[in-house]
Amino acid sequence: MRARRIPYARLTIALVAIAALSQLHAQSGPITVLSRDGRRTLPAVDVQGHQMVALDDLAALFQLQVRDDAAAGAITATYKNQTIVLTPNQSLVSASGRLVSLPAAVIRRGNRWLVPVEFISRALAPIYDVRLDLRRASRLLVIGDLRVPRVTAQYDEGPASLRVTFEITPRATALVTQAQGRLVMRIDADALDASLPPPPQQGLLRAIRATEPNTIQMDLGQRFSTFRASPPVSSGAAAVITVELLAAGADTSAAAPDAPAAPTAPVAPVAPGGDLPLLGGGARPSVRTIVIDPGHGGEDTGVTGPDGALEKDVTLAVARRLKSSIEARLGMRVLLTHEEGTRVDADGRAAIANNNKADLFISLHANGSLRPSVRGAVILTLSLDRVGEDARRQSQADKAVLPVFGGGAREISLVEWELAQAAHLDGSNAFAGIVDQKLRTTGGLPSVTLQRAPMRTLAGTNMPALLIEMGYLSNPDEERMLTSTGFQNRLALALTEAIAAFRDYVEHGPQIAPAP
Amino acid sequence: MNAMNAMNRMPGGFAVYVALAGMLVAGLIVLLVLGPRWLTTPPAEDAEIPAASAADVRKIQARLFYVDEQGTGLAGVEQDVLYGESTAEQARHIIEAQIAPAPAPHISAIPPDTKLRTVFFTTTGEVYVDLSADIQTNHPGGTTNETLTVYALVSALTSNLPAVTGVQILIEGREVDTLAGHLDLRRPIEQDLKWITN
Repeated sequence: MRARRIPYARLTIALVAIAALSQLHAQSGPITVLSRDGRRTLPAVDVQGHQMVALDDLAALFQLQVRDDAAAGAITATYKNQTIVLTPNQSLVSASGRLVSLPAAVIRRGNRWLVPVEFISRALAPIYDVRLDLRRASRLLVIGDLRVPRVTAQYDEGPASLRVTFEITPRATALVTQAQGRLVMRIDADALDASLPPPPQQGLLRAIRATEPNTIQMDLGQRFSTFRASPPVSSGAAAVITVELLAAGADTSAAAPDAPAAPTAPVAPVAPGGDLPLLGGGARPSVRTIVIDPGHGGEDTGVTGPDGALEKDVTLAVARRLKSSIEARLGMRVLLTHEEGTRVDADGRAAIANNNKADLFISLHANGSLRPSVRGAVILTLSLDRVGEDARRQSQADKAVLPVFGGGAREISLVEWELAQAAHLDGSNAFAGIVDQKLRTTGGLPSVTLQRAPMRTLAGTNMPALLIEMGYLSNPDEERMLTSTGFQNRLALALTEAIAAFRDYVEHGPQIAPAP
Repeated sequence: MNAMNAMNRMPGGFAVYVALAGMLVAGLIVLLVLGPRWLTTPPAEDAEIPAASAADVRKIQARLFYVDEQGTGLAGVEQDVLYGESTAEQARHIIEAQIAPAPAPHISAIPPDTKLRTVFFTTTGEVYVDLSADIQTNHPGGTTNETLTVYALVSALTSNLPAVTGVQILIEGREVDTLAGHLDLRRPIEQDLKWITN
C-alpha cells in the first residue's frame, strides 16, 4: 500500500506544479511599447502577482547604463548623468536622490535583475527626458507624445437592434464606414488603447476588435441590415459615439435618409438615443407633464457670486419663467419641486417627479469654479457605475407584462427606486442633445458642454432627466448675465423649444429630431 | 570740507564720538542677539536631539491632483509623500498630502481646513476616507467644484495605489448623500479618467 501511494503523491505534486506553471504563463505577457519608431514588445513575467521586467531589457530600450556594484550591494542605472540606485531585495529605490517605493522588491532570476513594471513610471519617468505613459491595465507603454486614446465599448441589446456606445478618452474624431461585411471605425489617433468586451451573440455583430494602427473593426452578423451612427458627443474629456446596428426586417424608418447603405458612406448625423420606453400599454408616448427642479433652496444657498448673487435665487427665478413659458406655449402641466424658502432633499425632488408621473425632469443649477475665468453652460446626464450598469441590464431583463383596464397590457420594468434613472438614459441623452442645440441657437450661449456624472438628484427619477448648469456664477460676467431678466427669458424660451422638439422626438421617432 | 575742518579742529572730540558709537553697537548686539539666549532655558547638556528615524524621512513620489488651467478638470502633479509601511498607512499619507494646501502655483480642489479623521480598507479594495465636516461647510458649491473635490480624492488613491477599486467618502464618520448637493456619494466612487486632463 505504501509503495503505491508514493506515485500518486508524486503525480499530485506534478499536477499542482503544472497548474501553477500554466497559471504563471497565463498571467504573464509582454508589454506593448508604442513610440514614434513603431511598435515593440517588452517581455514581462509575473512573480508572486507582480508584473516584472528585466533591467537589461529596460537598459536596451531606454539607453540606460546599468552597473552591478556587488561591493556596495547596489545596482545603478544611469541615464544622461542621472542615476537610479536599486538595492537587491528592496522595494525602495533612489531616483536622482529621491526615494521611490515600488510594489515589489528588486530580485535576481538567473543572471538577470527583475524590477516591477512600475519602476518605469515611478523611477525612470521622472529622470527621462521623454514622456513615459505606462498603462498597466492594458499592458501598454507609450513613449513620447503619441495620441493613444483609451477606447471602451458598451452594448445595449434591443429586440431587433444592438447599440454600441464607444467612449474615447481623450476626445478624438472618428469616421464609421461599411465595407465587405464589416463596419470600420477609424479614429483620429496614432494608436488605440482599446478595451472591447465580446458582443452579445444575437446575429447582428459577430466580433469586434481593434486593428492597427487606429481602427475598430466590427464583423457583422447574418441579421444585420443597416446601421446609424451619432456624431461624437463630448462627455468630460471623452467623446461618446453611438453606433446602432439594425436587424433585417426591423423598423428602419428611424434611420436618416442618408444612412450609410453604400460602402464607405460617412456617419449619418442623427440625434443620440433610440427607442424610448413605452409609458403605457398601447398608449401613444408623449410628453405631458414636466417637473422643474430649482437647484438648492432654503438654507442651502448653493454658489454665491462675486457680487453676492445666490444660486438658489437664480434657479428659482429661471424655473418660474420656464414654468410660465411652457404652460403658455405648449399647454403642458408643469410642477416645481419647491417654492421659496423650502429645502427638499434629493429623494424628495425625485419623488415629486415620480409620483406625478412626469415625462421629463429638469434640474436647474448655476455652476461654480475656483478659477473665476471659467464660463459656459454644462448639461449633465447620469453616468452609471458598475452597480448602476447592473441595474440597467436588470431593468431590461426583468420586465413584466400586466393587464390594464380597458384591455391591452402594460410592460413594467423592475428596477430599484434609487436607480430608476438607469432605465431612461437613452431618453435623457437624446433630450440633452436637443437642449444643447437650443441653448446654442435660441439661448445664444457660445459654450455648452455635455457631460455624464453620478448626479444624486437624477439617480432616482423614473423618466428622462437632466441637470443644467446654466452658467458659472463664479464668473463676474456670467453672474450679471444669470441675474438679468433678458437672459432668464431667453433661457426659458430655449428650454421651451427643446421640450417641444423632444415631444416630437418621442411621438414620431428620432428621425425628426434636429441634428445636433 | 566743513566737516573735515571741524574734525581737524577737534581731534579729541572725534575719538570720543567713535568710542560712543562702538559702545552703542556692542550694546545692541547684546540686547538683540545674546539677550534672548540668556532668557531661554538652556538645554540639558546630556539631552540630545533625537535623530530622525529612517521611517520618518522616507518618502515616495505620488501623483496628486489639483484644479487644471481650464478650471474644469484635474492636473496630476508628482509630489513627495511620506512612505507608509502598509497600504492603509500609505493611503492615509496620500490623502493627508492631497488635502494639504496646494503648492504654488496650483489650486487645491479640497476646501480649506479639511482634516482627515481616518482611512480604512475593505477586502474588496474599497477605501473609506473619513473627513471632517469642513469639507462640506467650507465648500464653495457648484457641480464643477464638487466634481473636482471628489475626483481629486478618488484619483489620488486610485492612481497611486493599484489595489484601490473605489473610494467611499465619509464625513464625521457617516455616509452622506453629497458634498454640496450634486454628486452621489452613497456608494464608493470609481476612478474616472475623463476628469484628468494631464
